Amino acid sequence: MSNTVTRIRLAVVAAAAGVLVLAGCSSSDSSDKSSGASCEPSKGKVTLQYWNTVNGMDKVVDLWNKDHPDIQVESKNISNDQYGAIGNALKAGKAPDLAQVGYDQLPTLRSQDAFVDASACKTAAGTESKFVPWTWSQAGFGGEGVYALPQDTGPMAMYVRTDIFKKYDVPIPKTWDEYTTAAEKLHKANPKLTMTFFDPNNAEWFNGLLWQNNANMYSYSDDKWHVTVESDKSKQVAEYWQKLIDDKLVRTDLANGSTQMFAAYQNDQMATQLGAAWGYTGIRDNLPGQAGKWSIVPMPTWGADGNSGDWGGSTVAFMKGGKHLYEAAEFNTWLNTDPEALALANEVGGLYPASTDGLKLPALTKGVPYYNNEKIFDVFAESSKKIDTDFSWGPTQKTVNLALQDAMAKAVAGDGKLTGALAAAQASALKSMDDLAIPATAGK
Amino acid sequence: MSRTAVMALMLVLAIYFMLPLYFLIVAATKPQGDLASTSGLTFSNFQLFDNLHTLFTFNDGIFARWILNTVVYAVLGAAVGTLISALCGYALAKFRFRGREFLFSVILGGVLVPSTALALPLFLLFSEVGLVNTYFAVFLPSIVSPFGVYLARIFANAAVPQELIESARLDGAGEFRTFFSVSFKLMSPALVTIFLFQFVGIWNNFFLPMVMLQKEELFPITLGLFTWNGQTARTPLLQESVIMGSLVSIVPVIILFIVLQRFWRTGLAAGSLK
Amino acid sequence: MTDIATRPTDAVSPPPRGRRRPRLDGGGPRAGTIVAFLTPFFLPFVLFYLVPVGYALWQSFRVVRRSGGQYGTSYTTFGGFEQYVEVFQNDEFWASIGRIGLFGIVQVPVMLFTALVMALLLDTHLLKLKGFFRTAAFMPYAVPGVIAAIMWSYLYSPQLSPVVDLLNGIGLKPDFLGPGAVLWSAANVSTWLWTGYNMLIMFSALQSIPQELYEAARIDGASNWAIAWRIKVPIIAPSIVMTTVFSIIGTLQLYSEPAVLRQISSNISSTFTPNMLAYTVAVGNNYQQAAAISVVIAVITFVLSFGFMRLTSKRAGL
Repeated sequence: MSNTVTRIRLAVVAAAAGVLVLAGCSSSDSSDKSSGASCEPSKGKVTLQYWNTVNGMDKVVDLWNKDHPDIQVESKNISNDQYGAIGNALKAGKAPDLAQVGYDQLPTLRSQDAFVDASACKTAAGTESKFVPWTWSQAGFGGEGVYALPQDTGPMAMYVRTDIFKKYDVPIPKTWDEYTTAAEKLHKANPKLTMTFFDPNNAEWFNGLLWQNNANMYSYSDDKWHVTVESDKSKQVAEYWQKLIDDKLVRTDLANGSTQMFAAYQNDQMATQLGAAWGYTGIRDNLPGQAGKWSIVPMPTWGADGNSGDWGGSTVAFMKGGKHLYEAAEFNTWLNTDPEALALANEVGGLYPASTDGLKLPALTKGVPYYNNEKIFDVFAESSKKIDTDFSWGPTQKTVNLALQDAMAKAVAGDGKLTGALAAAQASALKSMDDLAIPATAGK
Repeated sequence: MSRTAVMALMLVLAIYFMLPLYFLIVAATKPQGDLASTSGLTFSNFQLFDNLHTLFTFNDGIFARWILNTVVYAVLGAAVGTLISALCGYALAKFRFRGREFLFSVILGGVLVPSTALALPLFLLFSEVGLVNTYFAVFLPSIVSPFGVYLARIFANAAVPQELIESARLDGAGEFRTFFSVSFKLMSPALVTIFLFQFVGIWNNFFLPMVMLQKEELFPITLGLFTWNGQTARTPLLQESVIMGSLVSIVPVIILFIVLQRFWRTGLAAGSLK
Repeated sequence: MTDIATRPTDAVSPPPRGRRRPRLDGGGPRAGTIVAFLTPFFLPFVLFYLVPVGYALWQSFRVVRRSGGQYGTSYTTFGGFEQYVEVFQNDEFWASIGRIGLFGIVQVPVMLFTALVMALLLDTHLLKLKGFFRTAAFMPYAVPGVIAAIMWSYLYSPQLSPVVDLLNGIGLKPDFLGPGAVLWSAANVSTWLWTGYNMLIMFSALQSIPQELYEAARIDGASNWAIAWRIKVPIIAPSIVMTTVFSIIGTLQLYSEPAVLRQISSNISSTFTPNMLAYTVAVGNNYQQAAAISVVIAVITFVLSFGFMRLTSKRAGL
C-alpha cells in the first residue's frame, strides 16, 4: 500500500457516483453475440451483490429495492481497497454479481477472467447509443461484448485563476504553446508564481494528458498486444512537461489534492490546474475565499482544434460467478439510466455522468455560483465530445502506472527525463505482460 | 571519559529518544489549525479532550473497534501463543524422546524465517480457503512464535527442577497436572517475558494484516492509522486524529513496558545466553 | 511426529481413577502425552510456518500460461527456475537489494555501536539517573514501526516539523525527504526504534557478569576503558552477535517505515525495499514471481545471519 494506491483509491472514490438520465429502457435490438452468457430470469426471489466505492450508493439501492421485492440488491462499499477486495473475491470464487471497476482496470480484470458477457441481456445491450462513445467502447472492449455499463467519466478541462491572468495582463492560453508562453510571462512577472504543478505520483492524471494527444498505448492484432506506451505522441507530451519542469515554470513538490497543494493555490502561487469534471467540488470546498476568481475553460490543445482528455471514471461490471445475470442486467441498466435513480445518485455523489442524456440533468445545466455562475458543465460536456474513442488500456495497467510513477518521480528529482519514464513504463508493460503469459510486443 | 561528558552524551541520547514522544504529546493537545502554524515543541490552545472526542467519533467510532481488534490480535494472540509455546518448550526441555533435538532445530530454523516472507504465501493459501479478510487471517498465524518456544525451553530448564517433576510423578500426578499446578507457577515470570515478546511481535507486525485485511472493521490500530495517514492529504482534519490515535495507542503499552521492565531484562538476558 | 518413542508404559493393571499409576522408576510420560504437549504448537507451526514456506517454494517454480485470444484464460504450470531467472534479471530487485545493503551496512553498526556504548556506560559508576536513561532508550520499543514512522514523518515534514524550523533558524535547509536523504531518514526511524532494545540485551548480559572478573584487572590499574573493551565486550560477544543477526533479519524485512514515508515523499518508489517490490509484484497479479522474491529474501536472510554467526563464532572461538 502506498501513497499511490491510496491516491488511486481516493481518485476512484471521488470519481465514483455516476448519473445518467434515460427515459425508459430502450428495447432496440442488439446484434446477437454468440459469446454472451444466457440471460434468463431466475425463478422466485433473487438477492444481488453489488460492490462499489460510492458514498451513499446504499440510498440509491434502497430506492430500487422498494420497487423490486423479487430482485433485492445488497450494496457494499469497498472504497477501502477496491481492487484488492475484488481480486480476493475472484480468487476465492466469491465475486459479487456487480462491481464498480475503473475504465483503466477493465482489461486487467478481464485478463483474470473476471467478467461475464451480458450481450444476451437485451435491456443492458440496448443502451449502447445512450453513452458517451468512448465509455461504451472501453466497457465493451471495442464492441466484443457487454462486460460492464459505463457509470461516470472525468472529462478534463483547465481550472483558471482569471484574476491572476488579468492582473498580469496575460491571455488565457488555448493551446499548449500558448500555455508555455503564459507560464513564462507569469513567472517572469512574479517569480513566486508558477503556472501549475506536476505530480509525478499521479500516473492516472498523466495518462489523461497522453490520451488527449491520442497517444494510444495498446492495440491488439495478429494474436499479440502491441505496446506503444513510448511513442512519438507520448514523447511529445513528456518532452513538453520536461521543458516546463526544467525551466521551473511548474512546481513538482506538490501531491495532487494535498493540503500543501491547496495551500499553494490559497497563497496565489499557482494560476491553473488541469483537472477533471469531478474536481470542481475540490477547488470550491477547499478554497472558499477564492469564489469568483476561478473559471473553467477547455484544456489547452495540441494544435488549433485538438482533442481533450479524460481522467478517471468508472463502470459497473458484470462479474463472473454471479448466478443472476438477467436480474443483474436489469438493475445495472436501471442504476445507470433511470431518471429517478440518477437524480438521487447525483444528489449523494454529484459527479459526472457517462450518459449523454445524463448531461441534461438540471443540476448539470445550471450556472455554478462559485465559478461566477458560469455553466461550467457545458465546458465538460464539450470536452466529453472531444475524447479519443480508440484509446484503450493495458492488461497490466496498475503495474505500468506504478513503474511510470517511480520513474517520473526520479526524473523530477533530476535522475533522468520524463521521456525515460515512458521508456521505463514501456519496459514494465512488456515485462509484466510477459510474466502473465500475455503475448506482447513493442509496437511502432 | 569524564563524568560530565558521559552525562552530556547520555542526555543528548535521551533527548533523541524522547523527542518524538514529546512532540506527539504536544501535537495531540492542539487544534488541527495550530499544527502547522505554531511551533511543534510548545503547547498552544489546549484541545486534548476535543481531539479525543473527534478520534473516537470519527467514522462511527471505528477507532474503538481497532483498539478492540488489536487487543484480540495482540493480547489474546500472545496469550494463546504463550500457552502453546510454554507447553511445547516445557516438553522439549523436560521430556526425553526420540527426535527431540530435531524438532528443536526445526523450531530454531523457524526463528530465522522472516515473518514477512510468510505473509504473501499465507495470503495465497488463505485466499484459496476463503480465510482472507477474517479475524483468523491475522490471529492464527500470530499465535505461532518459534522464539517463544526457544525461550520456554530455556526457562523450563532453568526454573523447573527435574526432581520436582519426578516427585510429582511419584505422587501419581499426570503430566498436564504437573505442568499446570507445579511447573507453570515456577515458570510464570518467564511466561510473562514470552508473552511480552510475542505481544510486541504481533503489535509490530504490520505486513500481515496489510496483506490479509480489506475490511476496516477488522483492522488493528497500526493498519488503521496507516490508512488514515494516507488520507490526510485529502482530509487534513484526519491529521489530528492520526496523532491522537498514535498517542492513545502507545501510551498504555509504554506504561506496561516500564512497569514490567524486570521481565524484559530476565528475558533478554536469557535470550542472549545461547 | 510418529517417530516419537518413549519407554513402554506398563499396562499391567488399570490406573486408579483420574490418576496414573505411580511408577517407581520415575520414567518419562507416554508418547500420547508428549504429543499432546507438542501438538498445540506444532499444528499451527506446520500450518502457518512450514506449509507457507513449502507453498512459496512450490509457487516460485510455477509460471503463468494462457490459452487463447486477447484475454485468454490463464493457468499455471511448472516452469523450473524461470521465476528466479526473472528475479535475478530484474534491475529493480538489485536496486532494492543495493539500497537495503547500504542501509544495513550503515544503520546496523551505528545502532549497535550506540547501544553498546550506552550499555557500557550504564554498567559503570560514572552515571547517575541510570533508571531514567535506560527507560528513555527502551520506550521506543513499545512503539510499532508504523506509528514510529508516522511520528518521525511529522518531524521530517517541512510544514510541521520543529526540527526543520530549528535548522532553518540556523540557516540550514534540510530536506529529509529528498532523493538522497530519504533512505537515511528511514534508517533513523529504525535506529530510534531498536537502539534501546539492543542496548537492554547487551546491558542484561553485562549485568550477569560476576563483578570479581574485573576486580583483578582493576587492582592491576586497568582503566574503565580498558576493562570495557578488553573484558566486558568479549564476554558479551554472544549478545552482540545475536543483536546483529536479528538486526540483519530486520533490515532485510524492512517495509513499514519506508511505506509510511512513501505517503509523504515521492522519492520512495514502489520497489524501494525487497519486500515492497514483492508486494508491488503481487499487486500486479504476478504471485509466482512474488513468491520467488520472498524465497530469495528468506534465503539471503538465512545465509547472512548464519554466515555472520559462523564467522564470528570461528573468530572468537565461541
